[in-house]
Amino acid sequence: MIVVPRNFRRCAPWACVAALVSGLGHVGSAQQKVTTQNGAAQAQVTFSRDIAPILYRSCVLCHRPGESAPFPLLAYTDAKSRARQIAVVTRSRFMPPWLPEEGELKFADELRLSTDEIARIQAWADQGAPEGDPADLPAKPKFAEGWQLGKPDVIARATKPYALTASGSDNYWNFVFRAPIDRTRWLDAIEIRPGDKRLVHHANVLVDRQQNGRRQEIDPGAGFGGMELTIESEVFDPDSHFLFWKPGSIPYVEPDGMALRLDKDTDLVLNTHLQPSGKPETIQPTLGLYFTDKPATLHPILLQLENDRMLDIPAGDKRFVVTDEFTLPVDVDVLAIYPHAHYLGKDLRAIAKFPDGRSETLIHIPDWNLNWQAVYRYAQPFRLPKGTAISMNFVYDNSEDNIRNPNDPPRRVVGGNRAVDEMAHLWLQVLPEPISQGQNDPRVLIVEAMAQHNLQKNPDDFEAHYNLAALLMGRGEVPQAIAHFEHANRIRPNEPTVNNAFGAALLAVGRTEESIPHLTAALNARPDYFDARYNLGNALASLGDFRGALAQFQAAVRINPEDANAEANLGSAFAETGDLKQAKLHYERALRLNPNHELARDNLQQLSREANPR
Amino acid sequence: MSEKPQTFRLVSRLLIPTILLCVCSKPLFSSNQQRLATDLEGKPFDLSHASRGKIVVFIFVRTDCPISNRYAPTIQQLSAQHRNDATFFLVYPDKKETPDAIRKHDREFGYTFAALRDPQHVLVKQSQAQITPEAAVFDASRRLVYHGRIDNLYEDFGHARKSPTTHELADAIEAAIAERPLSGTATPAVGCYISDLE
Repeated sequence: MIVVPRNFRRCAPWACVAALVSGLGHVGSAQQKVTTQNGAAQAQVTFSRDIAPILYRSCVLCHRPGESAPFPLLAYTDAKSRARQIAVVTRSRFMPPWLPEEGELKFADELRLSTDEIARIQAWADQGAPEGDPADLPAKPKFAEGWQLGKPDVIARATKPYALTASGSDNYWNFVFRAPIDRTRWLDAIEIRPGDKRLVHHANVLVDRQQNGRRQEIDPGAGFGGMELTIESEVFDPDSHFLFWKPGSIPYVEPDGMALRLDKDTDLVLNTHLQPSGKPETIQPTLGLYFTDKPATLHPILLQLENDRMLDIPAGDKRFVVTDEFTLPVDVDVLAIYPHAHYLGKDLRAIAKFPDGRSETLIHIPDWNLNWQAVYRYAQPFRLPKGTAISMNFVYDNSEDNIRNPNDPPRRVVGGNRAVDEMAHLWLQVLPEPISQGQNDPRVLIVEAMAQHNLQKNPDDFEAHYNLAALLMGRGEVPQAIAHFEHANRIRPNEPTVNNAFGAALLAVGRTEESIPHLTAALNARPDYFDARYNLGNALASLGDFRGALAQFQAAVRINPEDANAEANLGSAFAETGDLKQAKLHYERALRLNPNHELARDNLQQLSREANPR
Repeated sequence: MSEKPQTFRLVSRLLIPTILLCVCSKPLFSSNQQRLATDLEGKPFDLSHASRGKIVVFIFVRTDCPISNRYAPTIQQLSAQHRNDATFFLVYPDKKETPDAIRKHDREFGYTFAALRDPQHVLVKQSQAQITPEAAVFDASRRLVYHGRIDNLYEDFGHARKSPTTHELADAIEAAIAERPLSGTATPAVGCYISDLE
């Protein structure tokens, strides 16, 4: 330690050192300025001329007031007070967040900085972050206030806000929106406003045509927890759009002809990834729906490769590889890609192998970070011919070197929906070659091929059995469909959707008595299940139990008073049990709902003939 | 001839404290209070007189630094846990952050201990702090015994653990209370650079 004179008491030892250090600091910064001035003679980098254009293009979409980034970078003073930080995070390519490596295929809105831009930022920070001549500043970018696409046709707000705790690890919450529409609408955009953008890392809308999400809410309207969710649908309506929000997202407007159908009583489920801020927060997202008059004429579909069953990663394994490969049954145009893994994912790659042996990288993410996951849209759609094998190759690191490892010490990790589980998913949005009249819908061929592929990987894949059965039913191949429904039913005996569909298939081939236990099981699980009520009514009626049928049809019309078939059948059940007055009333209701309902009209005529025999 | 150099040597040794004195005295006397940290009322803060007998912990923060904000619950909890032995201060090194903005921020984030403003970076230098959030621990005799990260929640920007696995600040506080020497070297913190504020 340096000797300090004893008589100088007011200067405590630390104060002297501090003063000395601060003095040296002054010398240091003075020297730096000299260097700056020297450097300036060669190549001075200024904010106004060199740095502002980079920030305006690649940073201020988020780094401006009210957006997701924690501080603005619009003005010189903003940038100067972060100069060293900007230099560090751009050099490590943490910012701007852009995970895919540069490849042959270009993505829309790539945020990657060039090496030259990064070098320019380093030089600027090293030179003391000079402002330069404000006259060199490019025009400030203009941003729309509020809704980015203008006032939406309809705004849906989450029924109840979610309270996010001050601390803790990342949080996943699903909000269920009751779509406020009274008839089928076509949407060309959904603008997602997640609430406080600093708290939401990403969000994803799922179209829930059968109110699956609501059933998971313990408190109606409050939403429900969970990182991943599956929405099941009975109708052939494969997922077709990515509805994804991440910080800085500009709402995506679907191209002409690719509108999204939204029916009355459809729910939209917003899956959000939230990060505590340090203080308690509440989040209540809103969705803006934009209608179009143009119904969909092009039908994209989301292809999924996955291999969650392969995920059984030993503790400490640094390079665990998961693969899947799917061969296209039809020609498709690829529009977008979305790779997905959780915290152990490290290196994510997807490749297309063409029938002629060539191959092309669809995406390569060398350092996966769940926090910056995104849907990547290609700058130009490109064709993959029938017979092309799409493969995914995901590498996982379950060692303690992977700092995102949610387990300390590492432990065995398997596939699953929770944040501590892993996933190996790759989604592609593809547009099958449009069909001419009379041909099979290529989407059916794709879904069928996917289901067959999934059954090869896992003979007990519930969804694959169900989808295959539904497709076979659609083609009229009922006995084959029944085999797959039976298998799906063995895997999940209480699943109401399967019990109903299985029962309906048995009913269709005349195995009426066997159908009744399945339809009843569906209703035990879900008493307000219209389809199952209707089917059970039909089953009972065909066994001659018209009183039993009557009760089911009555329940069915209470659930859905706008279904002409249920009204007509209720009329028939009344007629068969001798209540002709009630029968007439319900036939008439059926005809009001559907003036062309032939069965109701015929029955009504027969009724009046029987009432007034001539 | 042989004696002269000896004399010179003696003189030159004495000169060292003299030089120090000049450097030392200048900020303390000539610019008076400007080179002092203050509390939110503007009263100068003197570390040597603060909380006698206890250890002192500085936490360098910024209202607009997301990483220091995310640490608020951890910091508040540590201060409550050690309130009998340690006095905590939040230190705001950004001269643009006003006392009112700091009060509002601290209320929102649930801080219940005192905040200091350090626009001239006096405490920053005393603590050798470089980042927000960063901690400095001074023992009861006001020796700087630790400065560095709070824990290892963040490894780098965007590289956060689910929860920290080492707790450097808590360890340093406990060592200082027990008057145990600290082993190992401090790891730099991850966050916003204080030097950007100069």
